[in-house]
Amino acid sequence: MNKNYIILMGILILLAAGLLVLPLKNNSKQLDPEVLMWDIVQPTRYVSTDEVAKMIIEHDPLLVMVDVRSAEDFQLFSLTNAINFPLDSLALDDAKSALTFNKRNMVFYSNDDLKSDQAWVIAKRLGLKNIYVLKGGLNRWIQTIIQPEAPAETASEAEFNLYAFRQGASQYFTGGSISIDQSPQAEIVVSRKKKAKAAEGGC
Amino acid sequence: MGPLIPQGIIPMGWDFVIALLIGIAFGFVLEASGFSSSRNITGVFYGYNFVVLRVFFTAVVVAMIGLQYFDYFGWIDLNQIYVLPTFLSPMIVGAIIMGVGFVLGGFCPGTSYTAIAIGKIDAMVFTGGLFLGIFLFSEFFPFFEQFYYSGNMGSITIGEFFGISNNLVTLIFVVIAVIAFYVTWRIELRVRKNMTQYKF
Repeated sequence: MNKNYIILMGILILLAAGLLVLPLKNNSKQLDPEVLMWDIVQPTRYVSTDEVAKMIIEHDPLLVMVDVRSAEDFQLFSLTNAINFPLDSLALDDAKSALTFNKRNMVFYSNDDLKSDQAWVIAKRLGLKNIYVLKGGLNRWIQTIIQPEAPAETASEAEFNLYAFRQGASQYFTGGSISIDQSPQAEIVVSRKKKAKAAEGGC
Repeated sequence: MGPLIPQGIIPMGWDFVIALLIGIAFGFVLEASGFSSSRNITGVFYGYNFVVLRVFFTAVVVAMIGLQYFDYFGWIDLNQIYVLPTFLSPMIVGAIIMGVGFVLGGFCPGTSYTAIAIGKIDAMVFTGGLFLGIFLFSEFFPFFEQFYYSGNMGSITIGEFFGISNNLVTLIFVVIAVIAFYVTWRIELRVRKNMTQYKF
C-alpha cells in the first residue's frame, strides 16, 4: 500500500481520536436561556380578545386555539374550534410534535393568562414557533366579547365602533340577539297656541 | 457562525444558487473519480472494484470529523442542522430497492447524470427508467402511503439512539472506514491482475 495512504489514514484516526478529548458541548435542542428571557419580557406574545374574536369570525385558516385548562373545564366551555392540551401534558415527550402546526399561529388560553403564559414559556423552550397568549384569558373574553360594556357617552368614536363590533361578536358567539334599548321615548308635547277668541264686543 | 442560511448570514434566496454550484462541483468530482462508468460502480457488488465504497466512506468520514471540529470551534451550530427524520422499516425497504436498481442499472441517480454528460447511451436509458419509476411511484403512492409514513422515529442520530456521544460515533466510523479501506485493498490485490495503483 502506498505510504501516503497510510499517513492519511493515520491522520484521520488521530483527528477522530482527538474528538474524544474535546469537552462535550451541551447538545440540548432547547432554546438558549438568554434568548428565552429576552422573549419573555416582550409583550408581543399577547393577542387581545378582540383580535382573536375577529380571526375566529373570519375563519382565519392560520389560527389554532389551544386550551391549556383541564379536560373537564374544556368540556364545560371552550372557544370555537379550540383544541384541548392541558398544561401538564406539555411535559410529555411527544408534546412538541403534537403541537407542531406548520406555520400556523397558535394561541394559548386559560381562565386568565397565568396558565397560558406558563404554557407559552414551556412551548417556547421546546422550540415551537408562532405561539401567542390570549391576553386576560377567558375571563376577559366574557367581559369584552360575550358581555361587552357600553362605553360612556363621552367616549371616542373608536370606542363606539369597538363596542359595535363586540356586540356583533357577542351575537355571533352566543347566538343571542342584540338588545336594543327599548326605554320609552320622551313624548313630544306639541303645544299649540289657543286660538284667540273672536273679539267680543266691548267697546 | 454557521449554518449560514438559517442564521441569515446568506439570504434565503441564494440557496438554489448555492445548491446549483455545489451540484456542479459534485458532478465534476463524481465524473473525475470514475463514477460515470457503470463498471466501476457495480464492481463493488461483484467484488473487483471498491472505488465507490472508498469514495463515499471518505466523504462521510471527512464530513463527520470536519463538522465536529467546526462545532467545537464555534463555526457551525450543529443543533441548527436539519436532521432527516428516520422511518426505519420504509428506509430499509427503500435501501433494498435502491441497491437492486444500483446493481441492475449500473448507476445511482446522481452518477447517471454525470454519465449522460459524457454521452453514455446506457445512462440515458437508465434515466428514462428513473423517470418511469418516479411516475409509477407517484401514481401508486396512495397504496403504500401508510407504510411510507410508518415507524417514524423523529430526527434521531445514531449517537442519540445508542446513548453515546457523537464524537465516539465518529471515531467508530473512522475505524470501520480504515479497516474497510485495508480489507478492500487486499481483496482487489488478489482479484485484479492488472491493477494500477494511483499515486498522488
